[in-house]
Amino acid sequence: MAEFSTSIKDQGNINIVYLKGFLDAHTAPSLENTFSGLVDKGRYQIVVNFKDLNYISSAGLGVFMAYIEKIRENGGDIKLSSMSEKVFNIFDLLGFPLLYEIFKTEDEAVLKFNEKK
Amino acid sequence: MIGKISAENLMKNLKVQLLLILSAALFVLKLFFSPINSVPLIIINEVLFVAAIIFLVLSIGDLIKAGKMNLLSLVMNLGILNAIMFFFITFSDSILNLFYSNLGDKIKNPDLIYLIISFFYASIFISSLSYTFLTFRQFYFTGQKREQSIYFSTMSVFFLLALSTAFLDDIKGLSYINNTFMLVSIILICGNSIHISWIAFLTKKEKLLLLVLSVVILTLFILNIAKSGEDTTHYKILSGFSPALKTFLYLMMIYGIVYFSILFFTTLFHIPTAEAYDRKAKEISSLQYFSRLITQVLDFNDLAETITDIAIKVCNADASWIYLKHDSQNRITANKNIGFVDAEVLSKFVLSEFRSAHDQLEKTIYHLNSVKNVPQLSEKYSSLNISILRVHSEVKGFLFAAKKGDRIFDDEDKDALNTFADYASVSIENAELLEESIEKERLEKELDVAREVQKKILPSKNPEYPGLDISATFIPAFEVGGDYYDFFEINENKLGFVIADVSGKGISAAFIMAEVKGIFESLSKTSLSPKDILISANQILKRTLDKKSFVSAAYGIIDINDKNLYVARAGHCPFLLLRNGVAQDLRPSGLGLGLNYTSYFASTLEEVKIDLLQDDVLVLYTDGITEAKNSLKEDFGERNFEKILLENSNLTAEEISNEVIRGVTVFSQNTTQHDDITLVIFKWKQKFNFIGEQEWQNSVPQSKIKET
Repeated sequence: MAEFSTSIKDQGNINIVYLKGFLDAHTAPSLENTFSGLVDKGRYQIVVNFKDLNYISSAGLGVFMAYIEKIRENGGDIKLSSMSEKVFNIFDLLGFPLLYEIFKTEDEAVLKFNEKK
Repeated sequence: MIGKISAENLMKNLKVQLLLILSAALFVLKLFFSPINSVPLIIINEVLFVAAIIFLVLSIGDLIKAGKMNLLSLVMNLGILNAIMFFFITFSDSILNLFYSNLGDKIKNPDLIYLIISFFYASIFISSLSYTFLTFRQFYFTGQKREQSIYFSTMSVFFLLALSTAFLDDIKGLSYINNTFMLVSIILICGNSIHISWIAFLTKKEKLLLLVLSVVILTLFILNIAKSGEDTTHYKILSGFSPALKTFLYLMMIYGIVYFSILFFTTLFHIPTAEAYDRKAKEISSLQYFSRLITQVLDFNDLAETITDIAIKVCNADASWIYLKHDSQNRITANKNIGFVDAEVLSKFVLSEFRSAHDQLEKTIYHLNSVKNVPQLSEKYSSLNISILRVHSEVKGFLFAAKKGDRIFDDEDKDALNTFADYASVSIENAELLEESIEKERLEKELDVAREVQKKILPSKNPEYPGLDISATFIPAFEVGGDYYDFFEINENKLGFVIADVSGKGISAAFIMAEVKGIFESLSKTSLSPKDILISANQILKRTLDKKSFVSAAYGIIDINDKNLYVARAGHCPFLLLRNGVAQDLRPSGLGLGLNYTSYFASTLEEVKIDLLQDDVLVLYTDGITEAKNSLKEDFGERNFEKILLENSNLTAEEISNEVIRGVTVFSQNTTQHDDITLVIFKWKQKFNFIGEQEWQNSVPQSKIKET
């Protein structure tokens, strides 16, 4: 089930996490590791780019819930961007747009972080 | 078994008893007929004496058998007994003479005293000699498969004959009889003394010890026979007691001299090859260790421990450890007689020296003394041997062995360790495979439990309400997807229903599902609206759901009399309402349960009221349907789903459901279903027209209602 991978790009204080492949119960721990790595380093401004993500399951969504509280307590946020329509629908059904800022492009999300400062 | 043992015991006791009776008879004979000089008396004396020796030998034989003594300790005992005999022989002249000359005058009955002393003296010799005989017997039969030997038996018989005829030696003209038996006995002794194969199995140390012992014992045997001259007190006592005893002594001493001479020289010639023999023996025993490995695959850590243990034994190392690949990283799996940190540092250092030249590694013995930049360790090791653990020619890890001080590994150690490492690799692989299959089995058992829980949670039959056609289909995925649906018969006019999907899979999802059922079951009994039920459910779940988990749910109430439907949705797939050939997507807003526990949650929730019309079809489902995949990993999708629903909307709820499932099955053939599929369909027939129906229709619940 190694059909999922993440990569991180540093852009100043903002970390952009790229997701690729299928994010489900089997691959979710990999994303958890990525997030906990960032949180441990005190990097709380995160943009997640969904451009190459084909599928996300409920377990995958759970990963975002696991870290959002701590990140927001530390003045950071997870912003989501570049979702395909299919992935957006999954987020939308559960009401994630009510909890997370979702942007069409990565730049918009980054801009939003910078704007706040 | 018990009978056999007691019979054996009886025999033993009988021997001892007979021995005592014979001794007593001998004592009485000597007491009353002393001095014994007539031929009949001598014969009686000899018969009693020889019989006593036979039973003594048999009794001691039982003792030795029961003790199952090691051969070297038998040799030691032999030495001690001979030393005792030597002591008596040497000092009998001076001490006994002194004793008699002093006591002779003072005591009334010197004959009795003399008799007792000679009896005591003779007993010591008889016992010692019997033991000596039995020891030789033991030597003879060690390394022999048979319990009986015609040669040894013949020799024993001639011993007996020589003993029995000993008294004839003193009679002129008949001494040749005894001499002949003695001669034959000695020849047989020589013949039987070459059975000394048992020394081959001794270790080098034991052989050296035996060499020294045999010299000492040989000397004692020679001295004992040399000092038993005819004019000594010792000789007089023994021959006076019985000529047979004297003969017995001579025979045993001769046996001893012959046997130990041969033993000495054979051992001497064995010494140079002893080391090679030891090594062979060690190789054989390490083969046994290897086979021990094969049986020890149940616990990986135990196995690793055993491997290091044996590695140390195989080559006499001081320390050993295993450096094994785990999740693409090497780490110390077991360490024996070396600290974890030392082992890790040393492994990294040596492996970085060799980099990927594994072949080189296997051929080299690593002498730390001649290497520069050795990292600081808490203990100083001089020599390292590294063997590679391979599984299917892939390097799986390394088996290290280390020696301290001036002890270093040689090529034979290296070969032994490399061979051992091959065996160890096989058992490591076996252990890993077993662990995997056990883990897999455990997961499967766990999933069985989860599926069982899910099956029990879901309703066993659908409720029956007038005018309402209900169908519910549930197809579990192998990994239990966490789907849940339920009906609550609130009263004869009101039917509550819920559909939910717990995040995650397996046993944890099944447990949350069970809890969700409990929550909705009890909330359904209150008069709360669907929206308020979801709000309450969210609050209750706050206590148990962890951060990563959430539940999508939709709750609805159908009011039969009012022909109304009230629904609220918490992050679940939308309801579909099929009406007049159109599929309407009912998607009141609402967050999934467990995503937010503040008042914000309530504010996101909407409730929808729908007036039901004739032949309306309400479809509830989980994403197992729309996300069913085909072999190209494409989704079944909402559009396909709606198409099938609309095409069949004029059928019964059950038939519609069957068509959908068929569609999904055809679409996703040749792939495994990876999420639960739940499909609940209500069809409103409205065939019933209650009296007073209009009155009920006006009483709409006072909840927030949104028209679509």
